[in-house]
Amino acid sequence: MNYEILETKERITADNDREAANLRQAMQSRGVFFINLMASPGAGKTTLLARTIEALRGEFSIAVMEADVDSDVDAAAISDLGARVIQLHSGGLCHMDADMTARGISAMDLSGVDILFLENIGNLVCPAEFDVGAARRVMLLSVPEGDDKPLKYPLMFQVSDLLLVSKVDTLPVFAFDKEALERNVRSKNDNMSILYLSAKTGEGLDEWLDWLRREVRDFRAAAGKEN
Amino acid sequence: MRVIELHRSVTESNDQDALQLREELRAKGVLLVNLMSAPGSGKTTLLSRIITDLKEKLSIAVLEADIEASVDAERIEALGAQSIQVHTDGMCHMDAGMTRTGLEAMDLSRTDLAFLENIGNLICPAEYDTGAGLNVMISSVPEGDDKPLKYPLMYQKSQALVLSKMDALPYFDFDLEKFRERVLFLNPSIQIFPVSAKTGEGMEDLEAWLLEETAKWKGSGKRA
Repeated sequence: MNYEILETKERITADNDREAANLRQAMQSRGVFFINLMASPGAGKTTLLARTIEALRGEFSIAVMEADVDSDVDAAAISDLGARVIQLHSGGLCHMDADMTARGISAMDLSGVDILFLENIGNLVCPAEFDVGAARRVMLLSVPEGDDKPLKYPLMFQVSDLLLVSKVDTLPVFAFDKEALERNVRSKNDNMSILYLSAKTGEGLDEWLDWLRREVRDFRAAAGKEN
Repeated sequence: MRVIELHRSVTESNDQDALQLREELRAKGVLLVNLMSAPGSGKTTLLSRIITDLKEKLSIAVLEADIEASVDAERIEALGAQSIQVHTDGMCHMDAGMTRTGLEAMDLSRTDLAFLENIGNLICPAEYDTGAGLNVMISSVPEGDDKPLKYPLMYQKSQALVLSKMDALPYFDFDLEKFRERVLFLNPSIQIFPVSAKTGEGMEDLEAWLLEETAKWKGSGKRA
């Protein structure tokens, strides 16, 4: 064989993995806990972030990177709460990668920031394939989307550390079976934690905030050991 | 130095494949509808309702596209409609070549109307012409009225928009007028059908439109 076969997709993700690892390291040494938040369009990412920022005001300084194909309605919503926010436009692209994320981060002032969220593009497929250098991946699944989604978008459920089931106030309206969901999730990921919440009624929000507090504490302890 | 625009050449060659597939389907008298939406907007439920309601009037077939799993194809098959499941193995959209492969595995000799249930994704499927005669998208009430602002291409590429889960309207802050305005700003000629596949609300108008479009398509094939 006198020619080379180039697996372009593997090459792209390998390059991305390297950049993501560098970015994760950089965020670790800056002491910024970085979360990649992913979900379908309309699952409630921005609403959850808004409630989280309000609830943790005075406890943590939170910054947000909003990634969208177009528009800046989400950044405006977050900015209204007084949090530091930047809007990234992917120009039609369906996911964020480590390089785009690094460019977003370098355009932000992160001094004094404890937690940085990337609100990824609304998509259950492509964002799962790209490590953006976050310390944790959190995904949202809203009740109206249905309990069968882990079967159809398995990778997203496999790569995420935490599943937040959102809009639980609408459980009486939709045929959503919690047990079926958990069975479907477990068939893809044994370790993922699952929390149920409604950003509208506030139900379950405390458990999510406690998860965040615990993760930030562990992250700082690990960073302290390394430095 | 030569610069090769990979993305453009991929979509250009796809456009040619799509054009050819569309003309073949026109000659066969089969209207292919490319049904697109976010995950969980109710594509399969809507199709189930349409198949049940139009059973006596049209022969309907469904091409189910998923990354993996075949739960949707099983649901369609249970209704007695011809159905085939294609797995994209991680890919986020269907293109014309993949659609052709799926259709070739089906017997379309008596089919009037075929649906492609695309991957649940509001971004990538909008970029790829599948060879369908019509693009129809679903937006569901729980997703919110701001989606046209965030995923404009999908709204621009669709000839009809089904606004689903209308029965859930009282439970969500969804401004129907604002939504309509945003959609029509992006696409002034799009047809909008607010429906609930659960209660049947609005289904009659949507189904009448589908019957009309199927007849039109068959007519255009005969003239050609």
